[in-house]
Parts: sequence; structure tokens; C-alpha cells
Amino acid sequence: MMHRPSLQRQLLAWTLGSLTLVWSVFMVIGYMTGVHESDELTDGHLASVASLLLAQPNTSFRERVDVTELGVAPGLKAHDYQKSLSVYIWDQEGEVIEKTGPAPEPSYDAEEGFSTLSLGNPPQQWRAYSRWNAEDHARKITVLLSIEEREALAADIATHVAAPGLWLIPFVAIVLTLAVRRGLRPLMELSARVRALDVNHVNQLHAPPHEEFQAMVDAIENLSGRYQAALRHERELADAFAHELRTPLSSLELHASSLRGALSPEKYEAALGQLEHAAARTTAIVDDLLALARASRTELADAAQTLDLAELVRDIVVEFAQAAYESKHELAVSGPNYLLVRGHPVLLEIALRNLLTNALGHTPAGTVVEIRLNDDPLEIRVCDDGDAKKTSSEAAQTGAMVVGLGLGHQVVQRIAAVHNGEFVATGPDACGWRCYIMRLSIGDQSDSQG
Amino acid sequence: MRILVIEDDAGITHGLNLALGQQGWAVDSVDTLAKAWAALKTESFDAILLDLGLPDGDGTTLLKKLREAPKGGTPDPSTPLLIMTARDQVAARVRALDMGADDYLTKPFDSSELAARMRAVRRRSMGRSEPTLRRGKLVVNPSTRQVHMADKLVELSVREFGVLLALLEASPRVLSRQQIETSLYRWSEALESNAIDVHIHHLRRKLGDGLIQTVRGIGYFVPEDTGP
Repeated sequence: MMHRPSLQRQLLAWTLGSLTLVWSVFMVIGYMTGVHESDELTDGHLASVASLLLAQPNTSFRERVDVTELGVAPGLKAHDYQKSLSVYIWDQEGEVIEKTGPAPEPSYDAEEGFSTLSLGNPPQQWRAYSRWNAEDHARKITVLLSIEEREALAADIATHVAAPGLWLIPFVAIVLTLAVRRGLRPLMELSARVRALDVNHVNQLHAPPHEEFQAMVDAIENLSGRYQAALRHERELADAFAHELRTPLSSLELHASSLRGALSPEKYEAALGQLEHAAARTTAIVDDLLALARASRTELADAAQTLDLAELVRDIVVEFAQAAYESKHELAVSGPNYLLVRGHPVLLEIALRNLLTNALGHTPAGTVVEIRLNDDPLEIRVCDDGDAKKTSSEAAQTGAMVVGLGLGHQVVQRIAAVHNGEFVATGPDACGWRCYIMRLSIGDQSDSQG
Repeated sequence: MRILVIEDDAGITHGLNLALGQQGWAVDSVDTLAKAWAALKTESFDAILLDLGLPDGDGTTLLKKLREAPKGGTPDPSTPLLIMTARDQVAARVRALDMGADDYLTKPFDSSELAARMRAVRRRSMGRSEPTLRRGKLVVNPSTRQVHMADKLVELSVREFGVLLALLEASPRVLSRQQIETSLYRWSEALESNAIDVHIHHLRRKLGDGLIQTVRGIGYFVPEDTGP
């Protein structure tokens, strides 16, 4: 099974990744701030001790060697921040008059203020603060703190500042994961509905009502609707073709089987005539079918050629003259003398033949059938005044046919679509004129002359 | 058997007239629902052959109307009806059968199959399951159109066979001359006034006097078997 990327996983990865990054930066900054603050704190402590001791009277100091390390003696409270400060006090001659703490003796000549000294053997780093008493420069004091202790304090403070962040990260990650999953639920629902969408039956997606989905939902429903309309149209066309093909085939079958039985000479001849008629009708339908099957917009681009639509119309009308005479119809053509267009001549011929066949076949004797050719907009109209000539019962029958749009009209509709056009029926108007209009969007190639 | 064909295509109608006529059946045809209803209201038919796509509507409307007609009147709501159409979808077949059609044939169809189905729906409508009709030593097979009397084949003309079949199918009811005529002749056929009497005479000569009985002033009938 193909592994597909998951939007939810991707969103979680980005969210948690970003969170971890930001969190790490905050923790580093917190740690550094902890170190910095602890440095300032210990420096301030050194300075405070120095000030406090210098404020003591001179007699308070005498040299002591029994230094007791703070925090080691029993009974004394060992606090985390209780550090082992070392103090050296010199007189004006540079004699140590007071000393406490474990630090090796620093140089008497060291400058006043803060400094980091390397003392002892092996050398150790010490943070020191030195100053003279302000009144008479009789005593110099240096307060020292081991850098190691100072850094331990800094690390302790920094760790306490940053530790909550470390504990919080997994908790925030879990909460974020749940939030992302919950937030994506409408999208998951939409995804499930799209996956379950049966375009053959349902138009409505019934998607979650979120604004962000609206454009997509509209587009899907629109596509689904168009697909269903196309499917319906194809089914109707297939039904129409099936009906039209099966009818002459039935006639062929029945007449062929009846010819095997006993028939009078007249019935035999009539059966043969019907066989020929049904065969011709089947051939015409198959021709239409093949032409339509080959017709597509892509093919039109290849097969399109410049043709005189006016001449094509006249030629076909001439072919129908005898049929119109026999059925007592009057044929007429109006429009420009020539009209050059780019189109599929065979398909246009089929369309016009279908319209004329329908007009002659479904209107009563005496009907005027007029083919009107227009260049702007480009259209072929096949109009008849059959409704004005019909008896009431004929009118009822034709009405039903027109509403149903038979195969001929389906074919014309398809051909018009292939030519980027449309097929519409209008009327009948007050005078009984009904028009079938094939509009084409193929453009004329030159100016027509009327 | 008299059949009403309701079909708007002239070619198919012509073919059906020939094919069903060769079976010895009388076929009348109309091309719209309105004409069909008018015919059904005035004439009695043994079976109806109905196309669905007609110029003035869908054939199922006539089917529905026919099946909803009052019993015992004209048209007879129990008249066997067979649908013939180009619509081959299952849904269309189911719908038509559920609405009361007795059978459904998709175009194009074989004429012998059509005839067999017509005989079957006719048989069912009369409550018979046997394909042959028997009376004493007489055996009549409507599908092969063969008649045997005491195991001997009897040659009958198309009309004689039609009269015999009508009487056997109606047995023991008495059929008037007019009822026999309507089951044998189309609207367009000219008929001699004594044509049925002549056919009965020929049948009695070929099958014996005891089979077909006369009820004076009314018509003819074939009595049921009364014993072994």
C-alpha cells in the first residue's frame, strides 16, 4: 500500500517542531540570564561583605588561623546559597591583619574593584573584590569566592529558572496534538464525505459549514452536478439511439420471418418494400452514430475546414425538394449568398438533414419549411408554420414529440456543441411558426454577401 | 385470437400484421393512445400488444387506465397485455410488469418468440397451464397449429382452426356468431354473412358432429368432457 503524506502529521510536526525551537531559545536565554544574575548576585555579595568589614573598628581584627569553614561545623545550617567567602585584611604596610576562609592569599598590590584571580598550587580561579577603607587608607580588604562555587550557584539558579520549561514541553505537546486533531476534524469529515460521494446519485456534499471549505464544496458540487447532467444526457442519447435502432431492426426481423411463411404476392412485395425501408433507415442511423462517435471538439480542430455554409444549405435543400413535393411541403431558403465558416462539413450536413427530416416528417401537408441562415450571430434556423396548419389532434401529437426531442434533435444538439454552439427550439408564435435554431461559435472567415 | 397492436411505427405495425396474421390471428392496429382507448372501449380483444413510446404519451398510462377499468365492462381490465419496447433497462421492465403488464419484450424480437409469448399470456389469462387443449379424443396444439382426432392428424384451414380454438378456449360457454367473428377477423376485412356457419359445417365434417353443439338463436359451444 502506498504511503501517503498526512496533513495532520505534517501539521503536528511543524507545530511541535516550532514549539520546541522557541522553547529551546527561551531555555537558553533563561539559563544565560540565570548565570548572569548569579554572577551579579555573588559580586554584590563580595562588595557587601567588604563594605561591612571595612565599617568595623580597627581593633576588631586580629590574625586568626583557626578558620572554620561555614556549613561544615555541626549545628550550623548549610544553605544552598551559603557560600565559603574568604577575606583578607591588610594594614598600610601590607601585613595581613585578618584572614578567614580557604582562599590562598592574594597579592596585596591587586587593584581595587572586581577581578578574577588564579591562586594556589594547583592554581584555582577565584572571584575577588578589593578596596581600601575610604577614610584613611589604613586597611585594605579583599573578599574572595571560589569561581567553582560561583559557577555551581549560577548553574543551580539557571537550572531552576529553565526546569519548568523542560517539564512543560511534553504536556504542551500532548495538548497541542489533541487540539490539532480536534481542529482538523471538520477537514477529516469533509474528506470522508468527498471519499464517500457517489456522483451518480448525490449532488449535495453536506459538508461541514466552515467558511474555508465553501469554495471547494461549491466546486465539487458544481462538478458533480455537471457530471450527472453529462451522464444523464449520454443516457438519454443512448436511449434515443437504442430506440431508433431497434425500431427498424424489429421491422427487419418481423418482415424477414414473415417472408419465410406463406404470403400472397401483394403481401410478399409489401414485405420486401418494408425490408428495404427498414434497412435504409438502419443505415442512416448507423451513419449518424458513426459521425457522432467520431465527432469531438478535438477532432473538429483537425477536421475543420473552411466551407461555404450558404452553399451547403442550398445543396441540402435541393436534395429535399422531391421529398417536400411528395409530402406537399413548401421549402424556402433565406440568408446570405455565401458565408465562409470553419466547421465540420459532414456534421453540419447531418444536423441540417435531421432538422429538415423532422420538419417534413412531423408537420402536416401544406406547411412552409424555411431555412434561414444568419451570419451575425452565426446560426441556421429551420422554421415551419406547421402548427397553423394542424388539426387539433395533430397538434397534440406534435406537441408531445417536440417536448421529447427525438434522436434527430439530440444529434443536432451534439453537433452544435461540437461547434461550440447550442441548439434551441422556439415557438410556436402567434402565427404558428416554430423554429429550431442551431447557433454556432465557429466564426465566419470573410464578409458574406447577401 | 384477436389482437390489438398499439404501435406508432408503420414498419413494425406492418411486420406484426404479417407475422401474427400468419398465426391465424386477427390483428388490428392503432398508432396513438387515444385511438387505442377508443378501440378498447368499443371492441373486445383477446390480447394487447403495446409499445411504450407513443406520440401522445407513454404506453404505461394506457396500461394503468386499462387495469383500473371496472370489471365486467368494456374495456375488460383483465385483457392480457404484452409490452414491446426499445427500452431495455431493468427498471422500466419492472415498472411495467408491476403496473400489470403480463409480459415484456424488448425490440428487436423474433416473431416466433412473440407468438409463443402471446399464446402463453393467453393461456395464463384463461387459467390453463397445458400448452394443448383436449376434448375427448381431440387434441389441439395452438403453437404448432396441429389438430389430432383419435391420434390422426386432421387438416384444418386457418379460419377453421381459429373457430375451433375460440370455441375450445371459451368452452363450455356459448359463443355467438359475432363473438366468433370478432376473434377471427380484422376491422378492415369484409365478411360473408354465413362465413361462421360454413366454418362450423366444415369442422363438423372433419371432426364429427358431436364436438360442436348449436344453441339455436344464440350460437355454438363445445361441451366439457362429462366422463371417461
